[in-house]
Amino acid sequence: MQFLPELTLLGASLILFMVSLKDSSNNGISNIAIILGALVFGSTLLSFSQEGSLFFNSYKVDLFSQIFKTLIAGAMLVVLLLGRDLKGINTKVRPEYYLFMFISTLGLMMLVSSVELLAIFVALELSSFAVYIMVPMRDDSGRYRIQMEAGIKYLLFGVTATGFMLFGMSYMYGLTGSTQLPVIIESLSSLYSEPAAVIAVLMVLAGFFYKLAIFPFHFWVPDVYEGASNETTAFIASVPKLAATAMLIRVVTMINGDGQVIVNVLMVCAVLSMFYGNLSALVQKDIKRMLGFSGIAHAGFVLLGILTMQITGYANAIYYIIGYVVMNLACFLVICTVSKEGENVQINDLSGLHQRAPLLALTLGIGLFALAGIPPFVGFMGKFMLLAGALQEGYLLLVILAAINTAIAIFYYLSVIRIAYCSDTEGRGSVIASPLTNIVSVTLLLIITIMGVLPQRFIDFAASAVTAML
Amino acid sequence: MSVLTLHNSLTTYLVIAAILFGMGVYGLVTRRTLIGMLIASEMVLIASSINFMAFNRFTAPDPAVGQIFTLFIMAIAAAEAAIGLSIVIAVYRNYQSVDTEDLVDLKG
Repeated sequence: MQFLPELTLLGASLILFMVSLKDSSNNGISNIAIILGALVFGSTLLSFSQEGSLFFNSYKVDLFSQIFKTLIAGAMLVVLLLGRDLKGINTKVRPEYYLFMFISTLGLMMLVSSVELLAIFVALELSSFAVYIMVPMRDDSGRYRIQMEAGIKYLLFGVTATGFMLFGMSYMYGLTGSTQLPVIIESLSSLYSEPAAVIAVLMVLAGFFYKLAIFPFHFWVPDVYEGASNETTAFIASVPKLAATAMLIRVVTMINGDGQVIVNVLMVCAVLSMFYGNLSALVQKDIKRMLGFSGIAHAGFVLLGILTMQITGYANAIYYIIGYVVMNLACFLVICTVSKEGENVQINDLSGLHQRAPLLALTLGIGLFALAGIPPFVGFMGKFMLLAGALQEGYLLLVILAAINTAIAIFYYLSVIRIAYCSDTEGRGSVIASPLTNIVSVTLLLIITIMGVLPQRFIDFAASAVTAML
Repeated sequence: MSVLTLHNSLTTYLVIAAILFGMGVYGLVTRRTLIGMLIASEMVLIASSINFMAFNRFTAPDPAVGQIFTLFIMAIAAAEAAIGLSIVIAVYRNYQSVDTEDLVDLKG
């Protein structure tokens, strides 16, 4: 039971592998994938209250990991649903595409449960390698060749980040003589006066910074978002970020009062991510690129919660990343539906969307309002809690800089809404969304609103999960 | 410390690993071809392998964990090289070049 979600995913991957061996037109493959995704989601719900440890204590199943597994499975299911037509991928490679998506999700699920360096490393690589392949799988028979460039850039930056993380892990192992996280936490707590310990923790953090796209490891974001097909980008922009936040929290809980240097570095990274992301997003024409830069800025906000080193701070970060993933998926749902043959969507392509597809325009509008941090949606509550939490810990300067960033961000989000609502269609045809897409978008809108109106329950729940993990 | 005992001291291996790591990162930043960058990335991974083996030999209480870790790093480095080279081939098919200066469609 404790390992049920992972086993289901593994089984689903095997089924997809079998399908990929068959040389047929694969018409129903996306339906098979959606059913398998729903099964995985169901299995995470079934094993939600499980607890225990597996594989010689290198794999811990607790409330913290189960919450994240459920979220990861849910986000994957939404990605499968909104990319049901899979316009950007050649029909011949669709089974393989889904296979890699499931394997990547498997890696992420294993990552949130891993409490041993080797397990973390292997799970992280499993999730990364599958995504490296998904990026260049975009249909190259048309006019696109940028997906190849995006793929190799993604891989090279990823390998560099992994190299940093491994080098940090080797110092951690050398300093503590163990690869078990609980043992490392205990031994490292008396070692923070040593530069080697600080460098080790920072280098291990680098690997997760890369996944979450925080400042020094963010270079891949705009290129990969633009180069990958819309569905792949929706996956990259949502699912790995959940797991990366979980792992950042796990690693940051290692730091105790003597590790002020690390907290200072995290502060600098958070502020630089926000400024870099928001200022670059101002001038983008491609909406995926814009969302990529805004993702860098939001990752800075998540870091703001984590670096307070309080349980409430961690809980706020979890709440914020959940909200971010839902808002982002709402935006990508619109992008995937508006894009006719899987081409990239420019911001101008959204003109007059409220006439062409009212529900999609509403989804985009609420998603962007929420991302900009306007009440009563989840983005506002999340930002408010994070800033209040940081202020309580005395990071006044940080809060001021973050508030300035919120103001900058409103400009580019609202200018997209202006184009979608206040401009003419200019002869662009109407966009037809399937009933399933409409159901998904209404569900996402409900989640965004409910999480924004009633945040306390979610935050208390996240706090209890973090307490269970510590 | 004489030259003859250098092979039996932890510092030697740590310095070698640090130099390899530095060379790898330098290569990743300055190399102009994708193949060169892949080779440099292998050096980064090898550096941490050497660290693991050195700590395993000189300091660790259980002298197996580091070796196992190194084996896993080798396997994953191989997988990474396979994926990297396959993407390089796909790049070459589309761009007729593996030079980073020709890969400028995306302005990251």
